Amino acid sequence: MNQLAEEIRVGTLTLDGEPVDFREGETIYEVSERCRREVPTLCYDPRLEAFGACRLCVVEVEGIRNPVASCTTKATEGMVVRTRTKTLEKHRKTLLELVASENRDTKVDELSGYASQEMNDLLVRYDARTGRFGGKRSGTSNSKDKNPFILRDYDNCISCYRCVRVCAEQEGDHAINIMNRGFDTQIITEFNNDLRDSSCTFCGQCVQTCPTGALTDKKAIRAKDTPGEIKKTRSVCTYCGVGCSVDILTKGDRVVGIHPAMDGPANEGALCIKGQFAFDFVHHPDRLSKPLIKQEDGTFKEAEWDEALQKAADGFLKVREKYGNHAVYGVASGRAPHEAAYTMQKFIRAGFGTNYIDNCSRA
Amino acid sequence: MTDQEIIDQWKDQDAPLLPVLHAFHDRDDYLSEEAIRVISTGLKIPLAELFGTITFYHHFSRSKNGKATPRVCTGNVCRLNGGKEMLEALKSEGATPMPCSGRCDDMVPVLHGDQVLVGSDANSLDHRATPLPAPNPGGSEECVFRHIRAEGRHTLAGYRASGGYLGLEQAVQGSPEALVEIITDSKLAGRGGAGFPTGVKWKAVAEAAGNPKSIVCNADEGEPGCFKDRAIMDHDPHALLEGMILAAFATGAHRGFIYLRYEYPETQGILQQAIDEAHAANLMGDNILGKTGFHFSLKIVRGAGAYICGEEGSLLNSMEGKHPFPRNRPPFPVTHGFEDLPTVVNNVETLASASHIARKGAQWYQGLGLGDHTGTKVISLSGDIQRPGNYEVPFGFPLATLLHDWAGGPRDGRTIQAVTMAGLSGGFLAGDDLEVTLDEPCIRGKGSFLGAGGIIVFDDSRDMVQAAHDAMAFFAHESCGKCFPCRIGTQRLTERLNDSGGDLALGDWKDEVEDIGSVMKATSACGLGMAAPLVTESLLRYFPDAIETHLSCR
Repeated sequence: MNQLAEEIRVGTLTLDGEPVDFREGETIYEVSERCRREVPTLCYDPRLEAFGACRLCVVEVEGIRNPVASCTTKATEGMVVRTRTKTLEKHRKTLLELVASENRDTKVDELSGYASQEMNDLLVRYDARTGRFGGKRSGTSNSKDKNPFILRDYDNCISCYRCVRVCAEQEGDHAINIMNRGFDTQIITEFNNDLRDSSCTFCGQCVQTCPTGALTDKKAIRAKDTPGEIKKTRSVCTYCGVGCSVDILTKGDRVVGIHPAMDGPANEGALCIKGQFAFDFVHHPDRLSKPLIKQEDGTFKEAEWDEALQKAADGFLKVREKYGNHAVYGVASGRAPHEAAYTMQKFIRAGFGTNYIDNCSRA
Repeated sequence: MTDQEIIDQWKDQDAPLLPVLHAFHDRDDYLSEEAIRVISTGLKIPLAELFGTITFYHHFSRSKNGKATPRVCTGNVCRLNGGKEMLEALKSEGATPMPCSGRCDDMVPVLHGDQVLVGSDANSLDHRATPLPAPNPGGSEECVFRHIRAEGRHTLAGYRASGGYLGLEQAVQGSPEALVEIITDSKLAGRGGAGFPTGVKWKAVAEAAGNPKSIVCNADEGEPGCFKDRAIMDHDPHALLEGMILAAFATGAHRGFIYLRYEYPETQGILQQAIDEAHAANLMGDNILGKTGFHFSLKIVRGAGAYICGEEGSLLNSMEGKHPFPRNRPPFPVTHGFEDLPTVVNNVETLASASHIARKGAQWYQGLGLGDHTGTKVISLSGDIQRPGNYEVPFGFPLATLLHDWAGGPRDGRTIQAVTMAGLSGGFLAGDDLEVTLDEPCIRGKGSFLGAGGIIVFDDSRDMVQAAHDAMAFFAHESCGKCFPCRIGTQRLTERLNDSGGDLALGDWKDEVEDIGSVMKATSACGLGMAAPLVTESLLRYFPDAIETHLSCR
């Protein structure tokens, strides 16, 4: 971890007494993370531009009077950095106690969102005394926001602006922003309207990056009182061909929510409204779980797959026999990945001898 | 003007957002929802972002006829002089309070649309010019105030009559490098408070890669108890312009901006007139003074009420139309300033000093200081003092002489209990520490700093816990809300000074106040959060008994 290959190494600094190599453009925080220093943060999300607001990641750098925010400071040759001195740890604890003092409660259910435990975990790690620094609470909740997906409980907001930044930098929606200044700061849409009247697309990324559960997944949190442990299963979203990685949250045999996979190669933590929130179909009573074959009188009868596929194949062959090759027209699904689309056109071209093949996403 | 005409006038210019917002605000007397939608489309700024940015500035009104309603200064000096009573008296006209508006050497100012009225009460409000500095009271040689009292100095003819623009004419005969050397040798340093050597800054911009470069004058004088830049701009505007043109020559910058605080509406007119005169005389524009390739043009960007916009990163973000949070540093503006290009950001007093130095030389300026100190500093003196006003002192000058000999001492029958330093940012000095000399090494030795040079006097009739509370309330009001220690710390410290933070015993009170102060000083992202705890720190140092009495009287 401390040493890098010659071709990517641009310099060496001293991290807590050890020589450590760094790459071009790497920040002190990134170097520290690579070397498993566990520097605490609250406003940091590796996908976003470093912001420097929470100041928990401050480290001491020799020759600089005040500690510097490691997330916004680039590593430089010969720099001598200390990440965990007694003074730094005391500042971090005080900062956490200050942050805790502006929230109604700090323990939130895990189903709130992917990062929802970050703040509470840090309070526990630093044995931060909640109840210190009493005074006014910040944030004004917007729990009446009429949308079925995102609960906006700003009484638990710590103004780290991860939601605002993920909305602008990752999703490109710019649906939410910061109103007012200082302790009166609030997270709002334009003119402080509901989310559905804004340019929000309900992708849910704000929910998943929120470190306090101030933004909560309204659908997942329905299962808060459902008994059982939360189990996470890595899968791929079934909605379209992008192939976003997801972690499916289950309690017993029920799907209770979806987390985006931050390490998913196609999505890096991003999902859309469907992949994030539209999982109810799994347990819906109207959902088809067996193939149905239409009968002469127009009613359907349940069948097994072999029978159903045979029936479909017979139908195709009959059409070709009667009307010729070009009477068959294939339309591949936009939900299918590349490989399936390829197979489909092969099936139509080689199987039926026609070029009548298309894709629904072209419509 | 129609919506589209306003947008078309500005959309292809540098720094368009604030001028466009002001154009709508002036035309409609408020910023309507329709106007905000039009601007969002016209300047291609996402609606939520634009809305959020507008709410950052306290002088943009979003309710009908909002711009015209009076704003009364209830700042830290004016509340000693009846500011709150004035607010009460004008409540029926819809008056709202505003923080220090930089007129502390006069009676209480009231902003009526684009006019500042001053008076001791609501019946005596009157429109009058910014007070001139008093005649040089000590006879020591001045720099920026050298000719400011001369008749007609604010006009080009008057400015030239007392040697104005001779420094520029001399400078363009030589090389930009020679000018940088003069400024460096003079040891002129940033007079807005940070004290960075001006010559070094100009040199860095001259050498930095990237074009076009910019000269930005920070005229957002927002520090409570500071009103020196206003006097310079109103009575000696060409001195500032000459300083900016010199900076442009030294660095190769072709564009300049004066970021002027909202509370100085008359100053905008005075500056604009001076700019027009300078253009007509080929002191600005293309091929200045006949020198081929020396182009420089200047524009005024009016702020909209936010103290933090005096912080250079916030100021640049504000000019660019972004949310005015401070920027993370490094990189610094000398390489990544306005539009991420090399930029000089200098205070008004610094630039005005530079025009005198260009004419009279580095040795002359150095010689103005006392002892080892070089140069002069304008001190804005206000509060409980006989003759408040701007005084230019040599560095190293005794504070006591300024207070008692130059400014007439405390009001009759009173004694001076404490003074602030750096406006409010340096906290208080009291007791034996009132014997300091006015220079950074001495004042920093007392745990404070001289900064922009605002000094507010509190006599023995004042409750220092209340004074500290009002100072901290200002910082809480002006904290931008980005970094945690400042956003929460200024709020919690204010609450500890007015007891809304719960019933704390003295020991716990001190414990909390000291912990907050220490984390703010060490970890805040900009000077606001680092300086604010000096207020409580100095209160604890000089007035421990007052705190004890205050807590026991709850």
